[in-house]
Amino acid sequence: MGRGVRMFTRILVANRGEIALRVIRACRDLGIEAVAVYSRADRDAAYLQLANDAICIGPESPAASYLNAPAILSAAVIADVQAIHPGYGFLAENARFAQMCRDCKIEFIGPSAEAMHLLGDKVQARKLAKQAKVPVVPGSDGPVEDENEAVAVANKIGYPVMIKAVAGGGGRGMRPAHNEATLRSSFRQARAEAEAAFKDGSLYIEKLIERPRHVEVQLLGDQKGNILHLWERDCTLQRRHQKLLEESPSPHISARTRAKLCTAAVRLAAAARYYSAGTCEFLVDEDENFYFVEVNARIQVEHPVTELVTGQDLVQWQIRIAAGEPLKLRQDDIRQDGWAIECRINAESPDHGFRPSPGPIEQFIAPGGPGVRLDTHAYAGYTVSPHYDSLIAKLLVHRPTRLEAISAMRRALQEFVIRPIKTTIPLHATLLEQADFIKGNVDTGFIERLLGQPTR
Amino acid sequence: MSQAKPKEPNSGPPGRLPMDIKHIKSLVELMVENDLSRIELHEGDSHIVLRRGGAARPAGSLLTTPSLPAAAPPPSPTSAPASGEQFIRSPMVGTFYASADPESPPFVNVGSTIEPNTVVCLIEAMKVFNELKAEMSGRITKVLVKNGAAVEFDQPLFAVAPA
Repeated sequence: MGRGVRMFTRILVANRGEIALRVIRACRDLGIEAVAVYSRADRDAAYLQLANDAICIGPESPAASYLNAPAILSAAVIADVQAIHPGYGFLAENARFAQMCRDCKIEFIGPSAEAMHLLGDKVQARKLAKQAKVPVVPGSDGPVEDENEAVAVANKIGYPVMIKAVAGGGGRGMRPAHNEATLRSSFRQARAEAEAAFKDGSLYIEKLIERPRHVEVQLLGDQKGNILHLWERDCTLQRRHQKLLEESPSPHISARTRAKLCTAAVRLAAAARYYSAGTCEFLVDEDENFYFVEVNARIQVEHPVTELVTGQDLVQWQIRIAAGEPLKLRQDDIRQDGWAIECRINAESPDHGFRPSPGPIEQFIAPGGPGVRLDTHAYAGYTVSPHYDSLIAKLLVHRPTRLEAISAMRRALQEFVIRPIKTTIPLHATLLEQADFIKGNVDTGFIERLLGQPTR
Repeated sequence: MSQAKPKEPNSGPPGRLPMDIKHIKSLVELMVENDLSRIELHEGDSHIVLRRGGAARPAGSLLTTPSLPAAAPPPSPTSAPASGEQFIRSPMVGTFYASADPESPPFVNVGSTIEPNTVVCLIEAMKVFNELKAEMSGRITKVLVKNGAAVEFDQPLFAVAPA
């Protein structure tokens, strides 16, 4: 450890479920005490017993517990921790919470509040990307006044275009237009919809990327300004913007595109003076043009995919960086070794429109064998709560080649039994049999087409 | 579950226990007979410390557990109350204070009669002192938390025999 680095001896894990367990495991590996917090709904969860202490912070509702910043800080003060790990979701990208922690002299394990603020704002992040010479989706660079301006923008960037609500997000408030006539009619409808849905009728125009692939770059930065990439993950297989299967390397890009993508992400992170772990998301079209989408200023659900191919422990790095430790790795040290795939096992019923399927798990048989990693907080006797996210397990495989990885994943899915609740295990088994998936011939609308659902 | 069992520094295979269970039993009996609160014994490389009474932990709170994984999950809110016994619970994570300031007597003691508006304690969270009202009528039968102790959300603070 370098000068000025004092490793934490005790940190608080401000999250629940599999990511809370993941952070507790990283703490154990580093010899750091972990304090868990939990809501009344999670009081019997087994992972709490792996923490050195566990503190109940509120009732079932996330707003009153895992999103309750004063309760979490109060627990942190009482438990006498030096740092808080926010996991993902909940308070992980809340710049105000990060600042509150640091005001209480408790380190927030994540980037600076300034970087979070800057990258959390879509318009600012886009501006920064342009400054860093990172390609962005061509568009109006802010709201358009009226449909005439929309048409002028579309003529400049070329059809098809997407009309998007400034206040929208997660796929809501979007409408495609393939020519001037549909643009004019859709524009009026989109404005009325946005006013009704978001109380803000501001719209902007973006080029519609057809059959896009979702490729993201894992980044690690330290507080000294060193920034490295840990290669890419391909998260093209999604349903309604929820990722279902991720892999690394991406089967969709050439070595040349990969190198360009990764260095572009590093440029953007450097421009934001980013530190800690973060992810830069891109859309890649069929000609391998790539466009910046957003930066996720936190650890991501799918981070173990990168851990498998690089051999780096990202959660440990987050903790070490927050303690002030410099990255001793060089870019050349980070290899992309073999092929990793992750399947997200959600308590959902794909046969019923992905309806959540909470309830008690009576039988739980975990897969194993060569190349398998399972991150889960669930077990036989665990009850999946209806109050939170439906993710109950992340099943990963790591093999020398993509075909071997697909084969190992099929084997692991076949071994995996979770009863009687419904899960996405059978859907993944089906996906891995699709010739188009095996050939890498997919885009972000693949699952919805497979299931016969409108891609919107 | 596939995860490794947490390592407990004080637990080893039976053969390595500092002394056998009979011996420990007799020590415990000795402690009770003579009302001892602590016994510490060294034998070669091994040693044993036995404590009783005194610094009892607030029931069910994991807050004061030393650096070991908790042995049991926190009690469910309905677990084993004596017949008709009810609890006044902490509405937040914080620090429990039995009195308004160090010089004052406690707001309530065992035997105190309470009304819904009776202030029973203060809970301090983020430097804000929150008065906790009984919100029930009856008589305090137990004070479950020591002055100045950390408490978690929903932790029982007082046992009450309802009126």
